[in-house]
Amino acid sequence: MIGRTIGKRLAVSVVILFVVSMLIFFATLLLPGDPAQAILGQQATPERIAAIHEQMNLDEPAWKRYLLWLAGIVHGDFGVSVATAQPVAELIGERVGASLVLMVSAALIAVPAGILIGIYSALRRGRPADSAITGISLVLAALPEFVVGIALVTLFSTTVFQVLPAVTMQPPGTKVWDFPEQLVLPVAVLVLVVTPYIARMMRATMLEVLDSGYVEMARLKGVPERQVILRHALPHAIGPVAQVIAIQLAWMAGGVVVVEFLFRYPGLGQALIDAVKYRDVMVVVAITLIIATVYIAVNLIADIIGIMANPKLRTGGGE
Amino acid sequence: MLLAGCSGDSSVAAGTASELRGPPVKGGTLRVGFVGGGAADTLDGAIATNLGDLARAINMYDTLTTHDDDYHVQPMLATSVTPNADASVWTAELRTDVKFCDGRPMTARDVVASIERIIDPTDPKNGAAGLATLAEVVATGEHTVEFRLRSPDSSLDDVLAKYDMTIVPTDFDVANPIGTGPFMLDRFIPAQLTVLKANPYYWGEEGPYLDSVELLNFNDTDALINALLSTQIDVAAQIPAALSEVIASDTRMRVLECQTGVWLPFTMRCDVAPFDDERVRQAFRLAVDRDQMINQVLSGHGRVANDMYAPLDPAYPDFPQRTQDIGQAKRLLAEAGYPDGLAIELVTAPIQAGVVEAAQVFAEQAAQAGITVTINRMDLTSYWAGYLEYSFSQSFWYTRNFLPQANNGSMPDSPFNETHWDDEEFIQLVEQARATTDEPIRNQLIQDAQQIMYDRGSLIIWGFADQLDAYQAYVGGLVPNATGLPLSGFQLHRVWIGELV
Amino acid sequence: MSDHQEPSSSSVLVEDARPRRRYGTLARFWSQRQAKVGVVLTVIVLLFAIFGPLLVPWATGFTATEFVGRPFQPDGLFGTDNLGRDIWSRFLAGGLRLIVYAVLATALGLVLGLGLGMLAAYLGGRLDSLIMRGNDVLLAIPQLVVALLAVTVLGPKGWVLVTVIGITHAPRIARVVRSATLDVINEDYIRVAQMYAMPRRRILMREVMPNITGPVAVEAGLRLTYSIGAIASLSFLGLGIQPPAADWGLMINENRIALSLQPAGVLLPVTAIAVLTIGTNLIADAIAQASANPNVGGR
Repeated sequence: MIGRTIGKRLAVSVVILFVVSMLIFFATLLLPGDPAQAILGQQATPERIAAIHEQMNLDEPAWKRYLLWLAGIVHGDFGVSVATAQPVAELIGERVGASLVLMVSAALIAVPAGILIGIYSALRRGRPADSAITGISLVLAALPEFVVGIALVTLFSTTVFQVLPAVTMQPPGTKVWDFPEQLVLPVAVLVLVVTPYIARMMRATMLEVLDSGYVEMARLKGVPERQVILRHALPHAIGPVAQVIAIQLAWMAGGVVVVEFLFRYPGLGQALIDAVKYRDVMVVVAITLIIATVYIAVNLIADIIGIMANPKLRTGGGE
Repeated sequence: MLLAGCSGDSSVAAGTASELRGPPVKGGTLRVGFVGGGAADTLDGAIATNLGDLARAINMYDTLTTHDDDYHVQPMLATSVTPNADASVWTAELRTDVKFCDGRPMTARDVVASIERIIDPTDPKNGAAGLATLAEVVATGEHTVEFRLRSPDSSLDDVLAKYDMTIVPTDFDVANPIGTGPFMLDRFIPAQLTVLKANPYYWGEEGPYLDSVELLNFNDTDALINALLSTQIDVAAQIPAALSEVIASDTRMRVLECQTGVWLPFTMRCDVAPFDDERVRQAFRLAVDRDQMINQVLSGHGRVANDMYAPLDPAYPDFPQRTQDIGQAKRLLAEAGYPDGLAIELVTAPIQAGVVEAAQVFAEQAAQAGITVTINRMDLTSYWAGYLEYSFSQSFWYTRNFLPQANNGSMPDSPFNETHWDDEEFIQLVEQARATTDEPIRNQLIQDAQQIMYDRGSLIIWGFADQLDAYQAYVGGLVPNATGLPLSGFQLHRVWIGELV
Repeated sequence: MSDHQEPSSSSVLVEDARPRRRYGTLARFWSQRQAKVGVVLTVIVLLFAIFGPLLVPWATGFTATEFVGRPFQPDGLFGTDNLGRDIWSRFLAGGLRLIVYAVLATALGLVLGLGLGMLAAYLGGRLDSLIMRGNDVLLAIPQLVVALLAVTVLGPKGWVLVTVIGITHAPRIARVVRSATLDVINEDYIRVAQMYAMPRRRILMREVMPNITGPVAVEAGLRLTYSIGAIASLSFLGLGIQPPAADWGLMINENRIALSLQPAGVLLPVTAIAVLTIGTNLIADAIAQASANPNVGGR
């Protein structure tokens, strides 16, 4: 039953990705100017534009180019960047890696931190520590990423202390992760933006579980409080929290763009902005699809966890 | 005429803790940072467009003639480039001691092939427009080349001095770029870095002192300045004027400030309303407060201009400085049929630092004269897609002398005639000047043409921007240069790394 | 920019949504401390944003576009910006447009989301699936990509920003509305109305709508918070409100290069945006608490 549901969801996901690719492909073609224009700038004489068009097959009708691209995708070929004549996969490969470093580091900190803070807050329900955590997380959840980022830069890079770099630099032949100190602030921003949501959800579900009958029962039976929480409460709370975590991870795939822009971090976001600038259809579509795939996959996982965690839904009547 | 006077080291009086002294030192790697460049970066000097392209073009290749630091034409690969009496045939005598970086000698055949490559009708390079009058180029000897023109051009030596008139071997292939420049290619990753190493066969008398040069692309000025301050680069090409004082106050840094002929004009298309009426054009020019422009847009790092270009040309005239005159502007507008002022769209794009800012300042200033300016800020690609069509827009030009500039932008057949300028009298004067080899007479003709620009031209030229670069105090050999190109015209063969004492 | 989404099974948000009397909710709302704090914070920023533009020449002597000196000089109360304009006048004049756009975008998102969500729930079956799959497509495209493409094609105009943010909000609101509507539809009184052959439109407007106001109000508050953040983020990226307009997001973009030199040009607008979003988020959370809709994990 679950297998069939998942199979169906997967099929739908593929259709969604297909529609997304089509929408973005043709929307990119609406952009004024074309890659030849973007490359040549002021030097864009008709002859030179024509030469590039021919080189890049830009004179083919749009639907034909789309079909060619689609045929390539099926074989795992993301196509060729029109602005650079480089394979798209090669072009964005390192950028994906750089963005992943940010996101994975942030997740590795934010997820345990959020869970621990949430549990702590729930156990201290109504006390000053709980109120403080609830208040702070509500405030942090309200702030746009760039606001958090600028606050951190002001605090740690420019005005107050000058201890961490404000922008990312990547001297030739190095990788961004060769300079861990410049990863600190971007990762911190993502952590600060994501953790409050996880902590709040953890606190809410934990409270619900702690108030439930079986935790009460366990306590009455004299099970030590530590064990009550670890053995009985936590496993029941983790289902809904896993969903929120999934959502936050999916959000990061898109939200990382602003953080990258703020810190001049050479990741996917920068690549996307450049690709739109150069009218580089293949690259725009590829990056959009990567983010969309992360989004859909993570949501799918969240749904599966939801179905598994909720016995009522295991029969498939999920609506 | 204005000398390319330059306050090279004077602006850094604050930081004199240590000085670089002594003769140039050999060796070392120079890390050059600059903003810009992208996937379309090229190694072909003949199609150089962005800063990185220019740096590569100038350091990997040479031209027959060149511009010196004061923007005078000097011989380079040619010992002389001389015209016949009516400037319809030019003869270039080549140096005999020049070798390409693969060791082969440069001959007249290479020069002919290079020029033919530039004007290749199926794939014309940047320089093709400047050579539009070229009928044929012929090797008349092992080291002699003749340029035969369809119509006279007394400024061909100036045209050939531009950095993109690169001389390459007959079998040039951009995948294996061979030139005669002081440096040769070691490594190239578009949009990221270029590593150049010293050319062992370099023919020039000076340099290169450096073993290698790394050209590093930055996405943005913030990162560039930070890299400079943390010594991750040795020199930063083009820094924002507003930040130059702060950088100069750091004792480890030097700022190179050069007066240039770089201009950021407003362009008024004179074949469409309202700019087909010269009174409207004059009114717009009178609406500008030029001193304020220099202050706000360039933080004071520039000189006021007088609606004429080519300030370093010996023929640049000394007409009364035009200043803001709101009353006169309003009167002219009323005469032209706009007694209540007029509304206009200004198309702008970040084609160069200061352009979008100038648009904002202009909008504010023009409002006083009853001109309501709506700014339409485009992204670069959109801007270039509609380039040459906008009725009111902005542009950006490096230093040029009058005739090459007119050829590029002010004649009916110019490739970049942004204002659709088509003035009979002006055209005649320019054509006469082109055909005149006698300098005093030619200068008079140019002054007459400039008078037309001044009286009824289609460009608002409000200032000439200074070129500002920053470098570590241990870098030597950067001198004032008027070309408008960063880092002494990117002539890195003169640059060296020394010890501070 | 925030790419906001709800938990894909929106049950978290709306499982407790039931018909409720509104005045009770209002009293419960106001009895919370965070509601009061939220309202005060929001009102402070609103006062600046609304009266600032009127005060500018009086308070500072300069309009928001007028020039007072060279860039990044310590002239005036907070110094000058990247074009030598008075930072304090730019700040006073720079909030209104952002707030108006955010409200309009939220309203557009609500209208679209309500319509789609209620229709999907009410019609059910294939149309429901179709609408919800369309939703999924929209949700899967990052907001920035939509904004980047729309702004580049159509130009950075106000209505483009409002439409882009509104449209990217719609599917998220639609999900919440759909679940809330589903809960309501199964109530007896709706079944009765259906039996009496009441027109569909009337059932939706008269019977369903009033009974989903709780979750919708929470959603409206949240979306407003995110709209403010999103529009400010777009301006910060240079894709939003354009020069020479005075705008908080744009100010940050323009003056960022001199953050260490002239921090006021960045910190004033950043603080205003922060206070405003905190205020609206506190209000949204208070509404959620009041309608017993603990809003957690949403985005």
